[in-house]
Amino acid sequence: MQQKLDYFRPALTVGAIAGVLSGLPILSAGNCLCCLWIVGGAIIAVRLLAAQAPGPLASSDGAVVGALTGIAAAVADALISIPLRSFNMDLARRILDKAVEMGGELPAGLDEVFNAGAGALSPGWFLLSLFISAAVFALAGALGGVIGVSLAARKPVPPAAPQPPAVPPPTTPPGPTDAA
Amino acid sequence: MTVPPDPGAVRRIWLLAACGAAIWLAGVFLAPLLAGRGAGGAARLVYAVYAPVCHQIPARSFRLLGQPLAVCGRCLGIYAGFAAGLILYALARGFRRPPVLPPARLFLLLTLPLAVDGLGGLLRLWRSPIGLRFATGFAWGGLLPWYALAGLADLVRARRERAAARTLEKPGPKK
Repeated sequence: MQQKLDYFRPALTVGAIAGVLSGLPILSAGNCLCCLWIVGGAIIAVRLLAAQAPGPLASSDGAVVGALTGIAAAVADALISIPLRSFNMDLARRILDKAVEMGGELPAGLDEVFNAGAGALSPGWFLLSLFISAAVFALAGALGGVIGVSLAARKPVPPAAPQPPAVPPPTTPPGPTDAA
Repeated sequence: MTVPPDPGAVRRIWLLAACGAAIWLAGVFLAPLLAGRGAGGAARLVYAVYAPVCHQIPARSFRLLGQPLAVCGRCLGIYAGFAAGLILYALARGFRRPPVLPPARLFLLLTLPLAVDGLGGLLRLWRSPIGLRFATGFAWGGLLPWYALAGLADLVRARRERAAARTLEKPGPKK
């Protein structure tokens, strides 16, 4: 019977760490590089899963544990972002102001976003952003999980050295039988 | 237990992935279109969808109607590369054979330019032009459909195997 893998433990452990990294100011910039924390977290979650698996993992195992890691990261990111919201908004505004100074220009309506962000976070907006993050992070995590499976692919075990042939049991030469 | 391969599954998964990629890519261009035509509220929502995965710094983004796209040049490269990779997959591998994972060496090879470019920018060693960011993202994104299709196809296979096992476990009708 096939042993059932525990997807949740590695996904929750690594997802929580990836979510915290995604929510912290400055460090969250890692996600701007191909969802680094989420994809990297999913790869690590697959490594943890592979450590407890009796055999090689399938791509689907990687996809499932990666997607769960992404969802866990989205929840942790949302939770850690609540107290850091005003700080993050201020930081983002300063970065964009710097970009404007360097010759860029803000997208239309972004100023209103910052002004709205300075106030309290509405539950509706919080749930919407959590839902969007969870969907996007789950997809990125699933991809990272499959990548993790390909990176962690175990090389096939070489066949054991050929055993010397077993000593055949002594055979008695056919002789006359009683029936004859 | 193993079930016979479903030749139509890979085609259906590919179509699903292609539709998803097209919608996601269209959204990138929709945001500046809306912003340029004065629909600020709708544009804000579309920009917000892409905010968790991109810094959206206007100076690092291509523009449409004078407005920055919803993602930076590198992210656009990844999504465009994904779409191109899907087309390449259909042409190169087809749908009859089950998807296979690319070798790890190829993944590392295509990740290297993107990682070096990204890290150099992060450490302020250099400022790459948007075109180079797009190109490194495109190369990396082009490999991703192989992973996405392999993962989804294996999920479908595992689900069919479980369903087949459940059918076998069910007791037959009593006579």
